[in-house]
Amino acid sequence: MNRRLIAASAALASLALLVTGCGADTEAPTDTETTAGGTTAAETTPAGDTGSTEPKGELTLAGWSLNTTPEFQTLADGFNATNPEYTVTVSEYQAGNDYDTQMITDLAAGTAPDLYIMKNLVNFYTYAAGEQLVDVSDVAGTLDNESVSAYELDGATYAIPYRQDAWFLYYNIDLFEQAGVEVPDGSWTWDDYAAAATELSEKLEGDTKGAYTHSWQSVIQGFANAQSEGADVLSGEYDHLKPYYERALQMQADGAMEAYGTVTTNSLSYQSQFGTQKAAMLPMGSWYIATLVAQQASGEAEDFAWGIAPAPQFDESTAGTDNTPVTFGDPTGIGINPAIEDEKLDTAKAFLSYVASEEGAKALAGIGITPSVMSPEVTDLFFQLDGIAEDELSRWTFENRTVMPENSVSQHTAEINTLLGELHSAVLSDSEGIDAAIENAENRAKNEILNR
Amino acid sequence: MLTTVDTSRPPTRRRGALKLHNTLQGWSFILPNFIGFGILTLVPVIMLFYYSLTEWNAFGKATFVGLENFSRLLGDSSFWTALYNTGYYSVFHIPLTLAAALGLALLLNTGIKGRGFFRTAAFFPYITSIVAIAVVWNQIFSPEYGPINQALRFFGIADLPGWTASAQWSMPAVIIVGVWREMGYYMLLLLAGLQTIPAQLYEAAKVDGASAWQRFRNVTIPGLRPTLFFVTVMLTIGSLKVFDLILVMTNGGPGNSTLVLSQFIYRKGFEENQFGYASSSAVVLFFICLSITLLQYFWNRRQEK
Repeated sequence: MNRRLIAASAALASLALLVTGCGADTEAPTDTETTAGGTTAAETTPAGDTGSTEPKGELTLAGWSLNTTPEFQTLADGFNATNPEYTVTVSEYQAGNDYDTQMITDLAAGTAPDLYIMKNLVNFYTYAAGEQLVDVSDVAGTLDNESVSAYELDGATYAIPYRQDAWFLYYNIDLFEQAGVEVPDGSWTWDDYAAAATELSEKLEGDTKGAYTHSWQSVIQGFANAQSEGADVLSGEYDHLKPYYERALQMQADGAMEAYGTVTTNSLSYQSQFGTQKAAMLPMGSWYIATLVAQQASGEAEDFAWGIAPAPQFDESTAGTDNTPVTFGDPTGIGINPAIEDEKLDTAKAFLSYVASEEGAKALAGIGITPSVMSPEVTDLFFQLDGIAEDELSRWTFENRTVMPENSVSQHTAEINTLLGELHSAVLSDSEGIDAAIENAENRAKNEILNR
Repeated sequence: MLTTVDTSRPPTRRRGALKLHNTLQGWSFILPNFIGFGILTLVPVIMLFYYSLTEWNAFGKATFVGLENFSRLLGDSSFWTALYNTGYYSVFHIPLTLAAALGLALLLNTGIKGRGFFRTAAFFPYITSIVAIAVVWNQIFSPEYGPINQALRFFGIADLPGWTASAQWSMPAVIIVGVWREMGYYMLLLLAGLQTIPAQLYEAAKVDGASAWQRFRNVTIPGLRPTLFFVTVMLTIGSLKVFDLILVMTNGGPGNSTLVLSQFIYRKGFEENQFGYASSSAVVLFFICLSITLLQYFWNRRQEK
């Protein structure tokens, strides 16, 4: 063989290797399928050490990404200001999916904090059925808080929600004006949404899309499960998903949104797609409000006028400002570790009452968190954030919604989630037809999961 | 020092005592490493076998259920898909990586200019962060905007592969990246092996009029056999338990087209909290690895004779 040729091809090959191999280390993508627990970048409230009587000791509360997620410290500070017997202190855990792994390990080892967070309902069953939560039905009984019922198992309540995120439709007012399309008026069904997205894509310059659908299964299944009558993922029947997937596939084909494959292969983030005006609409959870405000302030997101509208509805029966639109979202709650020392239990329960009270809600609203208790004062506080949308519809949307829990509480929840996650990626990537995928999922749910 | 023996001792000491003394001394040297191995690997592995016979959600006591987990595996289509996908990955990944690594090693064992640089370059993917690899390769594979499909489009190919965004092409895509990533490492091992083959053998073969192929077939391959055996075994085990690459590149999707056994185990254990069931699939993977390695071992022994 010609040695020079070999050397040349080796040089070429190695160059290619070098070019593609030298990428700087990037942080692991936190591809969480869950929707709760978004971070906010609002300023951390300073610790308020105003106690006049000496506390007897500490109560520990788990949290994550403390420097960008101030809600735990805010709750602790707000509670500590009432001079409890024990001071609540926050201890940091891993963010993302690692939180539950680390918490389960610590609970099993007996080193977990006194109070810990239920990020979503998927793992709540594991904690509650594994007897890792104190029965707090007595606290729940004193609360006027709808989200509490999500944490019931066999008639008892095992955690108290402090925040209740909900999914809305974010829209870029500037892009709507540019395209000459009318902004959402609160009465949209999904078909209105798809039509607007297609029209926007056509009329907007360049690659700007009408809508962005993130790769999470929640974006499609969350709405389908919440809005379809009688839908229950634990029934093993998934026909209700069909119209939602057909619409999404049609939108992909029409170029109304980036295709699923483009989203996954290019690791697109919803923050940058909406924040840098590459898409005019975004269905997303309420945690994004504070993030968007912070990113516009820091320059990470571009400066444009935006608003939130109710999530598009299945049909007109729930749409419009004379109805209460249906959306979804898991509550985020706090539970008590049964290993807590007896004398601390009363303070821990008092803390839970505080986090689900209107007082706690106001503290959370002040830093851009959607609390589990709603009131006009809470909305006022929330919409005082610098740079937040100021129109009437946004306020109305924030206050008026029926939020269905995203996940149900059952031993099968995690497995069904995995199964439907596979359906989601198979269908949206056009690898499997929707009918075949639903049939396949139904068979597997019945024969491999629900029959145990 | 291991071999120092106290010669001032009276010769009446029995040999057995000396042997015991030496053995204990030897053990004391490997003890620090062995304690770590024992606590962090051996004990968990032994416990794994027990947990595979139980139902356990990480809390409280594991309930003994006998072989129930294994019979459940038999009827679990996800498990069979994972097993099939693991086989699919291995069947292509092992020979392709071996061929690429051997080719590179042979090439860089010659006196080409700048081979030090190329050896380093070929090793680069192996030491690059797997997450960076996944991000960059996924962009290269992007069905609409990726350079691969743009090049194919340039050549007029109409039916473009969807790569990691389609169930049909995701496994080939992952295999390509797997081969690319690991060939440098195995190249290094094979290079070391090649350099132990005495140059005189090649000279003698040349004098006898052997062609390049004949020299490769009758000098290189036999001389490289111990290294090739080691590389094949490592490569096989590595392919059967491939995990990180798949997790960050496709997360098992689209659908379950790239779901492999290790990820199945991870899902059942750490995402669905069924540690007993996850353990039983880990046991299955263990026995698959063990039996294939044993097969290779005996085959290699027969070849050596």
